[in-house]
Amino acid sequence: MSIRRLHSCNAAGNIPKNVMNEPTPANQVADAFPMPVVPATPPPELRYRRALQLGTALRLLVRARHTVWGLMVRQLRSQYSQQVLGLAWALVAPLAQTLVFSVLLTHTGTKNTIRFEGVPPKLFLFIGLVAYSLFSGGVATGGSSLVGNPLLNKVYAPREVFPLAQVGTSVVNAIASAIVFPVLFVIAARGPSLTALWSPLPLMLLLLFTTAVALFVSAITVYARDLRSGLPLILQLGMFAPGVLYPITQVLSSPNVRAVYAGVFPMGTLIDQARQSFFLDRVPDMHLMLICGASTFVWLTLGFMFFKRLETGFADVS
Amino acid sequence: MSPSGTVEVSHVWKRFHADRGRRLLRDHIGRATRKVTGQAGPNPWTWVLRDIDFEITPGEAVGIMGINGAGKSTLLKMISGVMFPHSGNIKVAGRIGALLEVASGIHPELTGRENVTIFGTLLGLTREEIVRKFDEIVAFAELENAIDRQVKFYSSGMKTRLGFSIAAFLEPDVLVVDEVLAVGDQIFQQKCLDRMRTVLESGATLLLVSHDLASMGATATRGIWLSDGVKRADGPIDDVLNGYRRDIEMRSADNATVKGQVKVHELTTVRPGNDIIETNEPLEISFTLDNDQERFLEIFVGVTQGPATPIFVLSKAREFAAGHTPLTISLPRLPLPVGNYYLWIAVRDNRARLPLTPWQPMGPLIVGGQRRLDPVPRAIVRLSPVYVEAEWSI
Repeated sequence: MSIRRLHSCNAAGNIPKNVMNEPTPANQVADAFPMPVVPATPPPELRYRRALQLGTALRLLVRARHTVWGLMVRQLRSQYSQQVLGLAWALVAPLAQTLVFSVLLTHTGTKNTIRFEGVPPKLFLFIGLVAYSLFSGGVATGGSSLVGNPLLNKVYAPREVFPLAQVGTSVVNAIASAIVFPVLFVIAARGPSLTALWSPLPLMLLLLFTTAVALFVSAITVYARDLRSGLPLILQLGMFAPGVLYPITQVLSSPNVRAVYAGVFPMGTLIDQARQSFFLDRVPDMHLMLICGASTFVWLTLGFMFFKRLETGFADVS
Repeated sequence: MSPSGTVEVSHVWKRFHADRGRRLLRDHIGRATRKVTGQAGPNPWTWVLRDIDFEITPGEAVGIMGINGAGKSTLLKMISGVMFPHSGNIKVAGRIGALLEVASGIHPELTGRENVTIFGTLLGLTREEIVRKFDEIVAFAELENAIDRQVKFYSSGMKTRLGFSIAAFLEPDVLVVDEVLAVGDQIFQQKCLDRMRTVLESGATLLLVSHDLASMGATATRGIWLSDGVKRADGPIDDVLNGYRRDIEMRSADNATVKGQVKVHELTTVRPGNDIIETNEPLEISFTLDNDQERFLEIFVGVTQGPATPIFVLSKAREFAAGHTPLTISLPRLPLPVGNYYLWIAVRDNRARLPLTPWQPMGPLIVGGQRRLDPVPRAIVRLSPVYVEAEWSI
């Protein structure tokens, strides 16, 4: 069939004597398939607008949960498969930081600069550092999960699976480092308070807030690459934010200021509340928790929408 | 709702930033200040696809061709949903599977087994599907002995095979294949083609991008030719392939430096006593050699289809005097089937071993007539380049 067609279209062009080596006769091809005339720019009414509905976007995300899981397993396996200590490495970092800080604070005459409120300094610092490593790890790895990722053009799932998988990975790492808690409790010869049962509430909110920030940072990093160089510095300084290594009340004495702090950037407040419920036999301050919850919800919604808004351009630039 | 496997591409436009590398905060600031101060910066946008419009029905096999930078891969990326168009719209019904260069998605620290499981989930296979197809995937990749080894100890061929095999076992409604025929050795390539045809026979739609025009002609039924981001042609694969081949031949003819110390003029092709050049009939190729001094020359005349390796080459070495020398090559029987071909010529100094006229396309050779190749079904191989007379005695 194809051959017949070939023949019929050649019959007309069959020139018995083709004189060549002159400028090639372009008309033969141009006759069959002329270059179509296309305007220089598209008509504005054709502009592609993705109808972004939060419900649809969330449903697609739920459908891609296996992809998030796969990315997490891939990341964790490869992270630890080469290392002798395996997951144990996850606890080395906060443990080392705890030791350094407690030595600094207890042996340099600055012991009373932080109000440990009767909690052994090592325990006090460790929980703050573990919680903060959840936040900083999630933001750092999630934030850079899109730029230069070879999987970006190969995995047909909503793009947010990449930062989400990274946040999930940092949760696993944080849980792994929490294994050392019993040891620290034995050394300190005291157990957690009964109110520790409340601590999952602020920690879950912290996880959601981390997700929100990771979504923001990852989307911005695609368009402003130099944020990647600045991010480690910002995260390092963030460790000294009120609530991480010392109680918020120590620097923010006014309850109104504390409420504003919780509303604007709930990270420090959430860590502080988790620690208080863990050691100090205090139920989390429900007023503050409400503010933190509302703020986290707003951050998460905005972060997701911001991410989805920029998503259409990710593959073009990274 | 259109049936699964439909691909609708309606008036799609896509543009890219000319400087795609730099995207720093200070660049944004610079752009913003220019905007505020009203300075017009240079237009950084380039249109890579303009007004692409077509529809593919389920079960069609479409080959997309075009030279580098014509926008083929961008189009495929948008169809597979990784990229989004600037204008226009793309609708794909059903599950999309893509055979792309997936080796970079394989993690070197993990074993082959782990990679199959994890990368399979990433590509959209469910866990049961992976368990069910695991042995098949491993057998396809020819990795039975190495599957529990870390991928970083694989050879690069093993790595590509692994990545490709995982992708090959998706059961998509729309299969997107980008330049995958460059993967692996010939045996593996043949397996890939077979796999592609199996998927096709199951009723899936195939979208294929390749520079291997022969394989494309043997697999696809419809061709879409992209040229400078515009859909130049859309029709039966053979017609489009022919137009495309002619176009690239002319481009290479334009590129070729017709200069050289020895010039070739007035190339003509004639079938003595007849108007139409036909298969298995005599052919005369004549040209004039313009030689600047007496030399011992070796002349090569070749016939190609697409600017690849020639189908055959004729050569002659002898002493030529300075000045014009007309030459005629007579072929008693032209072994080419009906089609469009190109004549190439090279001349070199046989003593000094110097090319005087580089290997370059000189002009078309059109073979018409009624003689056909024996028909061969697609599933065998349809790419026979020569016509051979034969007698079967049974």
